[in-house]
Amino acid sequence: MDKQRDFVLRTIEERGVKFIRLWFTDVAGTLKSVAIAPAEAEGAFAEGLGFDGSSIEGLARTYEADMLAMPDPSTFQILPWRGEIDPTARMFCDITTPDGQPAAADPRNVLRRALNKASEKGFSFYIHPEIEFYLLKSPNFENGGPVPVDNAGYFDNVPGGTAHDFRRRAVGMLEQLGISVEFSHHEGGPGQNEIDLRYADALTMADNIMTFRTVIKEVAIEQGVYATFMPKPFTEHPGSGMHTHLSLFEGDTNAFYDASDPYHLSKTAKHFIAGLLRHASEITAVTNQYVNSYKRLWGGGEAPSFVCWGHNNRSALIRVPLYKPNKGQSTRVEYRAIDSAANPYLAYSLLLAAGMKGIEEEYVLPPETEDNVWDLNDAERRAMGIQPLPQSLDHAIRKLEESELVAETLGEEVYSYVLANKRREWSDYRRQVTNYELQQNLGTL
Amino acid sequence: MATARSGGSLTELARYGFSDLSGTVAKLDQLVSLVGDSGRAAVASLAKTANPDQALNALLALGESDRSRVKKLLSKSDSADRLCLVLGASSALVDFLRRHPQQLQLFEKPVAHLDHQDKVLDRMRVALSPVLTQVVNKKIAEPDLAFDSASCWNLIRKEYRSELLRVAIFDLSATSATAALPVVAAALSDIAGAAIECGIDLARVELAQTKEYGSFEAHEVAATEFTVIAMGKCGARELNYISDVDVIFVAGSARPDFEPARAVEIGTKLANRMMRAMDGTSTEPMLWQVDPNLRPEGKSGALVRTLDSHIAYYERWAESWEFQALLKARHLAGTKTLGEAYVSALNPKVWLSAKRDNFVESVQKMRQRVTDNIPAAEVDRQIKLGPGGLRDVEFTVQLLQLVHGRTDETVRQRDTLGAIDALRDGGYIGRGEAQSFSDNYRFLRVLEHRIQLSELRRTHLMPTSEDALRSLGRSVNTSFTAESLISEWERVKTEVRGLHQKLFYRPLLSAVAKLDDVSMALSDSQAIDRLGAIGFTDPKGALSHIAALTSGLSRRAAIQRQLLPVLLEWFARGTDPDAALLAFRRLSEDLGESPWYLRMLRDASGAAERMTQVLSNSRLATSLFERIPEAAAWFERTEDLVPMTMDELTAEFSAINDRHSEAESASSAVRAVRRRETLRVAMGAVLGDLNLEQIAQALSQLNETYIRAILQTVRTTSEYRAGGLRLANAVDFAVIAMGRSGGGEMGFGSDADVMFVYQPMPGVDPQIAQQAAERIVTELRDLSRDQLLEFELDLDLRPEGKNGPVVRSLESYRAYYDRWSDSWESQALLRAKPIAGSQALMDAFESLIDQHRYPAQVEQKVILEIRRIKARVETERLPQGADPKRHLKLGRGSLSDVEWLVQLLQLQHGREYPSIRTPKTLPALEACVEAGLIAEHDANVLAASWTLCSRVRSASVLWANKRTDVLPVDRKQLDGIARILEYPPYSASVLEQDYLAQTRRARAVFERLFFGWETKPTED
Repeated sequence: MDKQRDFVLRTIEERGVKFIRLWFTDVAGTLKSVAIAPAEAEGAFAEGLGFDGSSIEGLARTYEADMLAMPDPSTFQILPWRGEIDPTARMFCDITTPDGQPAAADPRNVLRRALNKASEKGFSFYIHPEIEFYLLKSPNFENGGPVPVDNAGYFDNVPGGTAHDFRRRAVGMLEQLGISVEFSHHEGGPGQNEIDLRYADALTMADNIMTFRTVIKEVAIEQGVYATFMPKPFTEHPGSGMHTHLSLFEGDTNAFYDASDPYHLSKTAKHFIAGLLRHASEITAVTNQYVNSYKRLWGGGEAPSFVCWGHNNRSALIRVPLYKPNKGQSTRVEYRAIDSAANPYLAYSLLLAAGMKGIEEEYVLPPETEDNVWDLNDAERRAMGIQPLPQSLDHAIRKLEESELVAETLGEEVYSYVLANKRREWSDYRRQVTNYELQQNLGTL
Repeated sequence: MATARSGGSLTELARYGFSDLSGTVAKLDQLVSLVGDSGRAAVASLAKTANPDQALNALLALGESDRSRVKKLLSKSDSADRLCLVLGASSALVDFLRRHPQQLQLFEKPVAHLDHQDKVLDRMRVALSPVLTQVVNKKIAEPDLAFDSASCWNLIRKEYRSELLRVAIFDLSATSATAALPVVAAALSDIAGAAIECGIDLARVELAQTKEYGSFEAHEVAATEFTVIAMGKCGARELNYISDVDVIFVAGSARPDFEPARAVEIGTKLANRMMRAMDGTSTEPMLWQVDPNLRPEGKSGALVRTLDSHIAYYERWAESWEFQALLKARHLAGTKTLGEAYVSALNPKVWLSAKRDNFVESVQKMRQRVTDNIPAAEVDRQIKLGPGGLRDVEFTVQLLQLVHGRTDETVRQRDTLGAIDALRDGGYIGRGEAQSFSDNYRFLRVLEHRIQLSELRRTHLMPTSEDALRSLGRSVNTSFTAESLISEWERVKTEVRGLHQKLFYRPLLSAVAKLDDVSMALSDSQAIDRLGAIGFTDPKGALSHIAALTSGLSRRAAIQRQLLPVLLEWFARGTDPDAALLAFRRLSEDLGESPWYLRMLRDASGAAERMTQVLSNSRLATSLFERIPEAAAWFERTEDLVPMTMDELTAEFSAINDRHSEAESASSAVRAVRRRETLRVAMGAVLGDLNLEQIAQALSQLNETYIRAILQTVRTTSEYRAGGLRLANAVDFAVIAMGRSGGGEMGFGSDADVMFVYQPMPGVDPQIAQQAAERIVTELRDLSRDQLLEFELDLDLRPEGKNGPVVRSLESYRAYYDRWSDSWESQALLRAKPIAGSQALMDAFESLIDQHRYPAQVEQKVILEIRRIKARVETERLPQGADPKRHLKLGRGSLSDVEWLVQLLQLQHGREYPSIRTPKTLPALEACVEAGLIAEHDANVLAASWTLCSRVRSASVLWANKRTDVLPVDRKQLDGIARILEYPPYSASVLEQDYLAQTRRARAVFERLFFGWETKPTED
């Protein structure tokens, strides 16, 4: 760590960095940032930067307001959109209490704990997300809803279009920040884009996702448009998901791969999937944390609304990509419910915990579902034992309330904060008189 | 000295060390007939060996198979000595020589020095290469036959054992075994490295030439870099004759176009095949286990990783002890550049880990690991583990290295002996101590070596049979008998046991006091480093206490100079060593010259240890000690820590009341007894002698008898006259315990909730009687009040609460309860228990309230009212800003939730089920389960939460000497409470999680059963 710290301090000098932004994430998944001057960097490494935690959502109880942000030097990057004038860098921070203990409510620490637990069993957790988002003309909207920047569709190449330039610029910046991009293309909805990040260990990836959201927002501003990760901004167009590919490694070997299995899936992989399936409903309030998230989950199209798995089944919650010869190292499972507005630290902690639970208790994997689940009727689904995911935030909260798995993984503090926060959101939402009601009722009643 | 004259008399044979005397005569004759006259001369050589009988038998057996070679060796006295020494010391090497008699040639020349690993490896490879070629050719000629690994294994093992034989010759013929020890231990590490290197050579051929272990192309195997890092003893180049060789494997790709993942796959096979070459079954027996369990993630982790993956692990996940293990890492075999890259990348991290915040914690945990590992059986025979064993030396050295190596690079040595020297040169341990530490370590190691050499078995146990002990003694020094060996070993063990104290803790005194037996003085800053490392948060303050305790010429100071090192170690195990040391200083100033105190400290070491435990874990006990220093005597005898019984208390209190006629003097004596007895219970609680139930019983009984005693004082001493009558003649008066004190469930810091009732004496005017009763209450409250150990009668649970009269007549209670008979207030009566006053009045009161607390029927509207009040209380009574999740009494799922639920059940069903009528919460809950009023699972969840909350409340008073109704957030407070609850040290977060989870579950049960809320969501 000392070497990395020295590297950071040297770079700050050599590059003439003017500001260093210290980043961390609150329980809701919002990025928080404090800027310090270069002269303060050394002190921040040694003693951390004190701040009032009670002013940050869910981070601290009021009586222990004093918190320290400890920068992680391995996350140091110069922010490319600041240009060469007044170069600005950023580092992610771990949050600790004044006596140096990891803060129970720091989402980064929650993920670290979950990863440590898996590590005790010999596993490391790798992730590769496909992040969808919409580009809009502006954040303002009229009665007709927001206005997208184009009207193209899936994989469309829009000549001279904003989206194309946008993606080129965004990918360039991400690469400058050390975040490798696997793939980027236009998605199904107008103005909707997808960028896939190359796999990395879960903690790095969660940091990357936080950075990614910032980069996308910054590039949008630069190009005079507006980017949103809202799960479902349009009633009639697909929502923005964050399908996530998960894999476990034992050392340098993919633990999901077994050459002798017909699906090339190891026992570990099967138990892991079974764990995801069994606990899917109780973690949904975290993987899909907003009222709006459920508009995506139940908006039809390719949304994975039912708890089942399949190989090429785009209606299933979990998809296992078909094995490609000599690609044993890339065996993985894709979890499709999670959306682009999730707090990645918490969501990935829970996905890992659910899967690990499956491995520990050797859950049995139910048979693969080959049909398009949307085409089945309710009775058929019930007959096949296929459960739906929660249909609203309210429903998801109730599942969450009963979950020992989530309480244990998030820790009691974060768990009860999340519950309280979500209950508040639901109760605020429930009070709203919506456009729909006005349109349906006002004229006739 | 034996002469070479003859086999002569039996006495002479006995003097030479033979035990089978008459058999020996015949055997010597047989030897002579085999090899001629040199056989007779061999007696002189045999006399120098560990086991002459074994050596002679071996000579005969070897002579049968290779007469000429044995004859040649025996013909010269120096080669005869070498041969006999080995044959007498190791039956395993005898067997080896019988399998491979041609290796007898190794005895021909003296072994003057031992070769380094590369030279040994050259020799082994020369021997291995023709066999390997042959096996490969055979495989090519007949591809259907299995690859003949066994032939290669046999060869590697034979060559290794030949090298081992060289080491044994060198070792056994050295003039001083202890002086030769470091050379021998280094050589043993080197030959192990060479064997492993040959194992890798073989594994590479196996993988490249066959498809039996996976299909790999030869060029892929060649492009795989694979290295073995030695850890532990092998890493430090101080290996035993036979022990597990601790290693870590690293693989990588040698070519940019070759996938690292594939390299790891091949590396894993290489590692496995190499390990089989060492330990697989074959005609030449296995060597030893290669133990790769120190690798990242231990047993469950991947066997082989890339260098990057290792580095990433240590940067992110590794625990402190894993860094400490890296202290010994070095490249052992395989690709050298990769091995060196590993060491240079990871070695600096050891010392970074020492800068971490939780350094103290990890040092303490490391100590824990060491003491935990001692198996209870065999402890007397252990050379390695166990008190005074090798582990003690190694641990002490590593601890000192960690503490001082942070700032001083010179002490960063891999091997134990090198580290001792460096610590001595750095002035961290005295010359004399360093010398004896080093000598003792060498002695123990030589013992271990000789035992292992005998049968080449991995053991650290002293033999038990007389014969084996005798041979062992002779192998160390031919003048040793079994007894003298054991007594020497005991002496060394005792010295080593003391050395940890002497090296680590004792010098702490040298910084501030002149010590006769420590030849160096630590500087202040060195001492402060050391005190800080063991957990003192104010090392400077601690030093000044140490100075005060040890200075001067008094007997006390002299004894404390001896004692303090061990006390410091014990204090450091507690939560608050600083406070404990200060308290000890005060105690010592109070009691210092009392002979019994000094005797207790000096002689009853159990007592002193228990005292440190109490002082460093309980501020309540510590503060009571300042008032009652003589209680220190109780540490000596466990019977003194048993709480007094009700009868004993009552007797003592009555005696006080009999003796004193003044209110003030009587009550102050009664208060002193309460403090003393509370201290007794507190000590028992901190030391873990008492469980929650026993504590509750003891404190409740103390509370009860105390109130009774003070009431008695008031009755007998009050000079007040009501209408001309003495108080006792005006009214019959009784005290009713309520709440936890009524339930007999008091903890430390529980309120003494009470109500008062009276009955006018016949003919006394009701107003006079009320006046008299009120006067009793006033005096009772005044005399029982105690500021030193907080006590205050709490009347808040009386009818009408704060607005009601402090005392009522029985009739007034009757009228009140009749009027309010349907009120929730009867709920409070469920835990009422008369505890003092006349039996008649107590009985009358109890039968009065029974009608109300167990009513024939409870109307629905009453139940709704109780629920509503509970819901209101939850929000209103909680102090401003308190977190309901952490409030022990009124919080989510904590005490009041459980108690209200139990009380509701009692109110509803008490009439029908007399078994549930008890003021005690847990027995009531159990009775409800039996009566079928609550499901067993639900009751268990509630009981678990109630018990935990009660224990935490009690423990927090014990720990902090402050009443608190909130689970603290401060880590140190939590840790202190957790320790009293018998969690392992540093369990603050675990306790917090346990508490929050238990109460959360209890709350869910409570809401369902008490409010009738169904929290289960409706299923679709």
